[in-house]
Amino acid sequence: MLARATVLVLALLIAPVAPAHPEIEDALARLSAQLATQPDAAALYLERGELYARHADWPAAEANYLRAAELSPRLPRLDLVRGALALATGRPAEAFPLLDRAVAAAPADPEALLLRARTLARLARRPAALADYGAAFRLLAAPSPDLWLERVALFDAPADSLRSLEEAIAQVGPVLSLHLRALELEITLGRTDAALARLDLLIAGSERRELWLKRRGDLLLAARRPAEARATYTAALAAIATLPSWLAGSPEIAALSRDLNRLATTPP
Amino acid sequence: MLTLRRLAFTLTALALPGLDAATAITRGPYLQSATPTSMVVRWRTDNTEASVVRYGLTRTELTSTARAEGINSEHIVHLSKLTPNTRYFYTTGAEPAAKAGAAAGTGKAASAPKAASAEAEDAPGKAPISSFVTPPLPGPAQPTRVWVLGDPGTKNETQRAVRDAYQKFTGTRGTDLALLLGDNAYPDGTDTDYQKAIFDIYPETLRSVPFWSCLGNHDGKSANSITQSGVYYNIFTFPTLGQAGGVASGTEAYYSFDHANIHFISLDSHDSDRGLTGAMMTWLKADLAATTRDWIVAFFHHPTYTKGTHDSDKDSDSAGRMNEMRQNVLPVLEAGGVDLILTGHSHVYERSFLLDAHYGKSPTFDAATMVKQKGEVRADGTVTYRKPRARTPHTGDINVVTGSAGHAGSTTKPPKLDHPAFYIALNEAGSSVVDVDGLSLTLTFLNDKGVTRDRFTITKE
Repeated sequence: MLARATVLVLALLIAPVAPAHPEIEDALARLSAQLATQPDAAALYLERGELYARHADWPAAEANYLRAAELSPRLPRLDLVRGALALATGRPAEAFPLLDRAVAAAPADPEALLLRARTLARLARRPAALADYGAAFRLLAAPSPDLWLERVALFDAPADSLRSLEEAIAQVGPVLSLHLRALELEITLGRTDAALARLDLLIAGSERRELWLKRRGDLLLAARRPAEARATYTAALAAIATLPSWLAGSPEIAALSRDLNRLATTPP
Repeated sequence: MLTLRRLAFTLTALALPGLDAATAITRGPYLQSATPTSMVVRWRTDNTEASVVRYGLTRTELTSTARAEGINSEHIVHLSKLTPNTRYFYTTGAEPAAKAGAAAGTGKAASAPKAASAEAEDAPGKAPISSFVTPPLPGPAQPTRVWVLGDPGTKNETQRAVRDAYQKFTGTRGTDLALLLGDNAYPDGTDTDYQKAIFDIYPETLRSVPFWSCLGNHDGKSANSITQSGVYYNIFTFPTLGQAGGVASGTEAYYSFDHANIHFISLDSHDSDRGLTGAMMTWLKADLAATTRDWIVAFFHHPTYTKGTHDSDKDSDSAGRMNEMRQNVLPVLEAGGVDLILTGHSHVYERSFLLDAHYGKSPTFDAATMVKQKGEVRADGTVTYRKPRARTPHTGDINVVTGSAGHAGSTTKPPKLDHPAFYIALNEAGSSVVDVDGLSLTLTFLNDKGVTRDRFTITKE
């Protein structure tokens, strides 16, 4: 603890003159010049800390945040950025009370809610994390697939994960990364027909159907449905036949064709 | 929120009966998400009004109308059922013709841009008429010109000089699309920054050429990819469900689109998960596997290699993003048969040999195994490379750092520019021009003086 405090003090001392990345040199010079004339300006320390944090210079960022906290403990955003930093540096237990205060101060801020959700997830407090994700999602116009997948990963039961994915697909649309995760879960649950239905959606929406058809055939084969598998492999070969010749003649497709021919003609 | 806005507008309109006659365009119009059969037209007005686009095949017959719901000051209108590869004329505004008449008496044109454009050559009092050409159907080749602007948004004379040099270079040859490689508006990517760095600098081009973009670190100061919120995401409209070709990504942070025989992939090197199992990577693999276009061009902000104003050998530089793009994303792109990678961030021009499989720091670069072709120099100085047309993983790609459309590196303390992967490296302001004609792709780097400083061609056979 003492060692970290020493590092932070040193970071603050050297921060104004430390070699910086080219793009932040100007901004750092400006802030440092302002701080030289306004050494008690907490907001400037906060701004400089955020600048360092954007470039993952965590010790310098934290040193500036701590100085800002000394000068003005109730500075808006300070709890949020300090919590974000603690989380980014692998200290979720330290992050939680900071982010808890940040959410209390701004309950409609999705950024604060998401940071607290991630912190709670790291602390293995999954129900509370899910509640925060839910609250953040209600505030967001378009949560990204990445965010939905974060949330899906928190469920213990694959069936719950699937329900969350269905919700995501209903909201975001037929997005590949969500469909693929759902496909994996269907297979995990042994729901072959549901998995096939998801593959059929991907096949229907793709210009290059051969790879998805191959995967469909593999799934059928694993489910001990060899006749259907062979028919699917044959369909994959037919899909290859519709490709432009320059593409069908590529080494990868040639290898796939050989594989498909063997699979399509293998007796059960 | 919308209801409150409508109520506020209604009350204001009741209190100020003459208000609707005085609406002026303060931004745009600008074109987004172009597909062979659709176009998104966006613009901003100083007051709220209906969002209407009138369009047609000739300047004098704007017989079709498209509208967005409600009354707005930020207008986003989707034009659909268009004919591929066709020029459309259009005008924006609530009811331009009628309003123009009403406004004429006041001496103020309704919905007229504050800055007249060369293309807005219409009679005084009428809303200006601009035009665009819908992209051709994906697949068949068609000569295509792409203007590539990396890190343009300085708002300064260098940015204008780079713009003017390109306009002179391209002359009457139309630009089919423009790519912004991020850091579009310094310093913080705010709405005001965008107004001054993009909308006030390229108004004519924005009216007639669809702009596509990727997120840069300065844009990321005012935007968040995970929540898809902030200025960058408010300003741009990109396809999230594969509407313009490619696989649905579900996010505007990374997406793809087709133009003729080219497949473009925009990646988020700043704010999305760049890990091997992240959603972007999952999508990227599927998107690469799905395309049947002749050419694959990927663009993102942080370069895989650079020794310009950034150093891709330094782990701390840009918080390791360049490392992640090189170590995680580049192998996937090369396995998927990418031909050209366009990046910015480093305010220089650096262009590689035809390369494959250099995923480490520069000391690990092994020219004997990683340079697929050094290139042959033609009499006119163009460097030529050849690739097989059949899509084959790891047959080489050219990495171009073209991040100097707004400023170059320092001249008093110039960047080293000594990365061994590069055939040429220049500390000069400029932009890049990509011309695709069938199975030939040519990139020209044009400096701010209008001088061609590098040109190479990849030919597929």
